[in-house]
Amino acid sequence: MIKLESAHIEEVRGIRNLDIDFQKSTFAISGPNGSGKSGVIDAIEFALTGSMSRLRGRGTKGLSVAEHGPHVDKAKFPDAAFVRVKVFLTDLGKSATVTRKLKTPTKVVIEPPESDIAAALAEVAAHPEIALSRREILRFILVEPTKRSEEIQTILKLDDIGQVRAALNTAQNRLQTAHEMATTQVQSSREALLTHLQLPALNSEALLGAVNKRRTLLGLPEIAELTSDTKLDDGMTSVAAGQEFNKQSALRDLNAGAAAFPGVASQAAAEAAAIVTDIEKLETDPALLIAVQRRAFVEKGLELVDGPECPLCDHAWQSEGALRAHLAEKLAKSKEAQGIQRAMLSNASTIAQAAVRLGSIVAGVQRLAAGQGEAAFAQLLTAWKTDLEGLRASLGTVDGIVGLKERLVSAWPAVPATVEKNLADLIAKVTAKPDQTATVDAQTFLATAQLRLGDYREAMRKEKAAKLVAEAARRAYDAYCGVLEAELNTLYEEVEKDFSRFYRLVNEDDEAGFTAKLTPTEGSLGFDVNFYDRGLFPPAAYHSEGHQDGMGVCLYLALMKRLFEKRFAFALLDDVVMSVDTGHRYQFCKLLKTEFPDTQFIITTHDRLWAEQMKSAGLVTRKTSVSFHSWTIDTGPLVESNAEIWQEIDRALSKGKVEAAAAALRRHLEFVSRHLADQLGASPQFRADGNYELGDLLPSVLKRAKDLYGKAIAAAQSWGNTAAKEAIASRKDALSASNGAAGVEQWAVNKAVHYNEWANFGRKDFQPVVAAFKELVEHFQCGACQSFLFISPRSNPDSMRCACSAVNLNLAAKPKT
Amino acid sequence: MPTLQQQIADKFLAELAKSTEVSAEKIERLRSVLSAAKKPKADDFVKVFTEPDHGDIK
Repeated sequence: MIKLESAHIEEVRGIRNLDIDFQKSTFAISGPNGSGKSGVIDAIEFALTGSMSRLRGRGTKGLSVAEHGPHVDKAKFPDAAFVRVKVFLTDLGKSATVTRKLKTPTKVVIEPPESDIAAALAEVAAHPEIALSRREILRFILVEPTKRSEEIQTILKLDDIGQVRAALNTAQNRLQTAHEMATTQVQSSREALLTHLQLPALNSEALLGAVNKRRTLLGLPEIAELTSDTKLDDGMTSVAAGQEFNKQSALRDLNAGAAAFPGVASQAAAEAAAIVTDIEKLETDPALLIAVQRRAFVEKGLELVDGPECPLCDHAWQSEGALRAHLAEKLAKSKEAQGIQRAMLSNASTIAQAAVRLGSIVAGVQRLAAGQGEAAFAQLLTAWKTDLEGLRASLGTVDGIVGLKERLVSAWPAVPATVEKNLADLIAKVTAKPDQTATVDAQTFLATAQLRLGDYREAMRKEKAAKLVAEAARRAYDAYCGVLEAELNTLYEEVEKDFSRFYRLVNEDDEAGFTAKLTPTEGSLGFDVNFYDRGLFPPAAYHSEGHQDGMGVCLYLALMKRLFEKRFAFALLDDVVMSVDTGHRYQFCKLLKTEFPDTQFIITTHDRLWAEQMKSAGLVTRKTSVSFHSWTIDTGPLVESNAEIWQEIDRALSKGKVEAAAAALRRHLEFVSRHLADQLGASPQFRADGNYELGDLLPSVLKRAKDLYGKAIAAAQSWGNTAAKEAIASRKDALSASNGAAGVEQWAVNKAVHYNEWANFGRKDFQPVVAAFKELVEHFQCGACQSFLFISPRSNPDSMRCACSAVNLNLAAKPKT
Repeated sequence: MPTLQQQIADKFLAELAKSTEVSAEKIERLRSVLSAAKKPKADDFVKVFTEPDHGDIK
């Protein structure tokens, strides 16, 4: 797998030109909604996989990377849109550069062009699941079990496995049907042999009795034992052995036909009637008919899928997996149709077997008719036999069966009108023939018996082979299903354990006993979670949306861990961490740091406070985070840094844009004061809606800072540390001076200095305001590491310090003895 | 690292090797079908099971 070193993005989504140094580390990108964060995720995902998940899946019909991936102003010049990322391939210990243009998503330029690097990157490209967005996480939690199973199977790439299982099932069904037909052929050839031998049942003794009677008459030695290579006409001259017409046998065959044909209409009549009933049901419910026909159509399509292009309509899908999921969803929706489809096919199979048996009788009569010079009758019988074969083929599909309704209503064998008369004429013709001499009768009897015994043996050989093949295919299918089920159960058990552990880690304060249960059944995956030891319930039953979101992230992480194991080195989390509520974010950082120490997460969030908390928790640093403060269609994301924000304000002022400068200053102060209120434990007047304004927060922060300095001075004094006491007093004085210059304390009483009025200031009046607040903000930052000061621990703090500890003020006084 | 698909395929073939219904030749042909770049179709499996173990030599 890979670690991302850097990215250069040009004219992609909302980005014009952007470079980010990811340093192979977990990296945070923050900024308000619409500031371009997700564009970075899209660009990285595109560079690595050639696709953007935002532009595929539900609700994205008509969108494509080539057309909608470039910046909107470059839509007609997609050549200008490209992404170049530098990655470190962890398995190879090599770095490589990957460049991909949006115009040609499937073409990738890799430097150096080495085969092992290309292979490693191809593996990454095969895993679009490295990117997870907030809109996707609920797919795992709130969907119905069948859909969840699909989603999880897709992310684990289990669709390929499902396809193998389906193909094995189709194969074994076909081979089972072939075996049934072979069995029918055995019955038909057996009946033909019995009719000729005039035996009620087939056994060696009876067969040899009938045969030896003729052999004795011909002076041939009796056959003592019937073996697999016994020839019943052994010893006859080749001319005599070739004679097949035996008058008596022919009459028996013809009479058998004459007896059978009038009654064939009643064969499998119950099955035919049942099919007709089903067809009529479909006719009265067109939606059901469409569902059944579509089901057969979709099943065929699913079988033919071989790539992202639909074999039914040629529509190009984003991936073969998406196409398969779409078709599988269609099949899952038609349960009633499935029941009718199965019943129709089962009844049709019985009729098909009857058609095979009838075809054998017709074939026997046809041979005799041809042999007796009855060409027209032979031709009629040939046509009938062909018709029966066509019928059998039509009975194999739902569409074919529906098209046979009229035939099934009347009489499916469709006995030709003149058959009975023609047959009677042929019987009369054969009867009128002079009786064969006893010698000829015996000779032709033996020749025909040998021929039919050969047919019977061949049919049995084929049936035996078909049976072995069907058994092997059934065994293979059962074995595959067994292994698949066992592996999936193991997988889900592991995912269940990991998921529960991850969720407990994030929510250890109030759900330390949390457990979850994944219940795989055929085609679905049940998911229940423990709710405060009151039992297992669906996630949406009692847990808040925030908790459900958190479950989605934890389940994703558990799945990725199972999918990649120790090679889970890289993931793009687009605004998903936002779903973890404020009180549990530090634990979430702990989860990522402890459970995935070797994984590089690229995390975006629109919550700037959360971005700062990631720094405080040590998940990212100032060097491994970037903040976008705004976005315009012309510039793309505007990267925020302390230096840049003040420069931006200065630039606006230099152009006389006081309003813009005032807005930027206010935005920045809102962020800083909110962050400091959290980091220093300030106590603004509580608001239930959480919508604290700058006027609520900043005065509260300043008051808290003064109190903390007072506490630090007292602590230094208690320890007799005069130098520290003086240094802290100096900081306190500086804060008071800055505060005075900024006029924060005047906000409540003097409207003329209130931040709401800044936009109405003149340029020269506003410049000192900016300078004062710059100094005030810098007072709370470490000059070395630039991080904002914070108290530690958060409750009952004993220090106020920065991330690098260059500023570290002791708040704990010397215990009194 | 074997993928889940590969793990399942390997265990499936090992399971079949214990059976009397499926010959060693068929198992090898199944291995070939399952490891091919092309995704297996029902026709591929039908061919595996129906082709005689001595191949097409008559």
